[in-house]
Amino acid sequence: MNDAIASTLTINGREHDLDVPPFYPLAVVLREELGLTGTKTGCFEGRCGACTVSVDGQTVVSCIYPVGLAYGKSVRTVEGLAHATQPLTPLQQNFLEAGAVQCGICTPGMLMTLTDLLERVPQPSEDDVRDALAGNLCRCTGYRKIIEATLATAEAGS
Amino acid sequence: MARTKDAYVPELIHPDTVDEAASELARLGKDGEAIAGATWVMLGPLYRRPTKMHYVAVGRLPELTNLAVNGESASIGAAVTFSQLADSVDPDGPLAVLNEAALGTPRAIGNVATVAGNICVHPYPAADLVPALLVLDASIDVRNGDVATTQQLAELSNASLGPGSLVTGVSANAISPRALSCHERLTVRASGEEAVASVALAVELDGGAIKSARVAFGALETRSRRCAEVEAALVGGALGDETAIAAGNLAAEALDVVGGPDAPADYKRQILPGLMKRALARLAASGKDG
Ligand code: FES
Ligand code: FES
Repeated sequence: MNDAIASTLTINGREHDLDVPPFYPLAVVLREELGLTGTKTGCFEGRCGACTVSVDGQTVVSCIYPVGLAYGKSVRTVEGLAHATQPLTPLQQNFLEAGAVQCGICTPGMLMTLTDLLERVPQPSEDDVRDALAGNLCRCTGYRKIIEATLATAEAGS
Repeated sequence: MARTKDAYVPELIHPDTVDEAASELARLGKDGEAIAGATWVMLGPLYRRPTKMHYVAVGRLPELTNLAVNGESASIGAAVTFSQLADSVDPDGPLAVLNEAALGTPRAIGNVATVAGNICVHPYPAADLVPALLVLDASIDVRNGDVATTQQLAELSNASLGPGSLVTGVSANAISPRALSCHERLTVRASGEEAVASVALAVELDGGAIKSARVAFGALETRSRRCAEVEAALVGGALGDETAIAAGNLAAEALDVVGGPDAPADYKRQILPGLMKRALARLAASGKDG
């Protein structure tokens, strides 16, 4: 058996040793054990996308991702996009400028999903952006501004 | 689920090899189960599904994550994810149905949801990959301790995949290199939802007429299955509305449709002609002549 998969988790480049049950949801570990409250939770059943983070470069909904499967892996949360003392990423900046943030509950998940999209597909079409948002719900913005911010980021990066 | 640490007590075992995983599962019997992405296990209490005390994590095992797509056939490791399938299977090739079924899930779920998970979770009538694999005449490789067997997916039942089993891989084959196939699903929202009804369709054409057809429905009965009556009725027809509506009406009669949280059985039966129309229209628009 693989003893190397101990309870170590790398989050935003920093290693953490944890003592929590393996089926504890990653979202709860991030928020309650590590104080990384940038990751939000909404439905807690994998439907709203608010809790989206990336594990070894793949987005996951962390509310239904057991922390025991993340041990030995590298997790990126919204706090890992731009450190508090650093400028915002172009996508974050465009969210601000387009008015893509209202209550903000969906925003960290949106940013993680769309950062992943722009990394995989640097020049997405509007349909690509809409498809990418299939698992991220927003009750405030109507999505229009979020899509505009993403397309503006892609255009500026081209 | 009560969100206290006490709610998350099961043991998580990390084997290094398939042999180790198979022997752990054989030892645990009905007290254990294999997991890869674990979405269903995490949602289990919410849906009042019984949970196990021991889970064997197989998602990192290299033997289970291989994916080989070869034109009209695919050899798929049990822990291959929906996203891997969506990224690797040609959306315009004879296995298109598999690509489309894999795209039905938001990426953050598709990155962890696996082929074997979709096959093994039961009851889960809306499992999207299952109808697609059924029309690709899929077989599954299973380990029970040291014993390896292969069985047709169409024959899978709770009894035949008993406690201690580990699905290791799936083989899928198109009807022919020039077959047309698609996966059509009806959801409440446009995307990111479980299907209220779905159909996987694969046909061979001879001129303008359907020469052979494989049709499987999902989210209608308790388990997806191929429908021989509809397959027979499609043969000789054209890829048009008349054929589709007749096939949809026949499906509504032939299937033992059960209602779900998003739609009652009667609604599901009524939308079947429309679902078939959409599916056949997409095949016709794909512009090939088989
Ligand atoms: S809180 Fe995780 S998907 Fe809604
Ligand atoms: S900004 Fe409020 S839910 Fe999206």
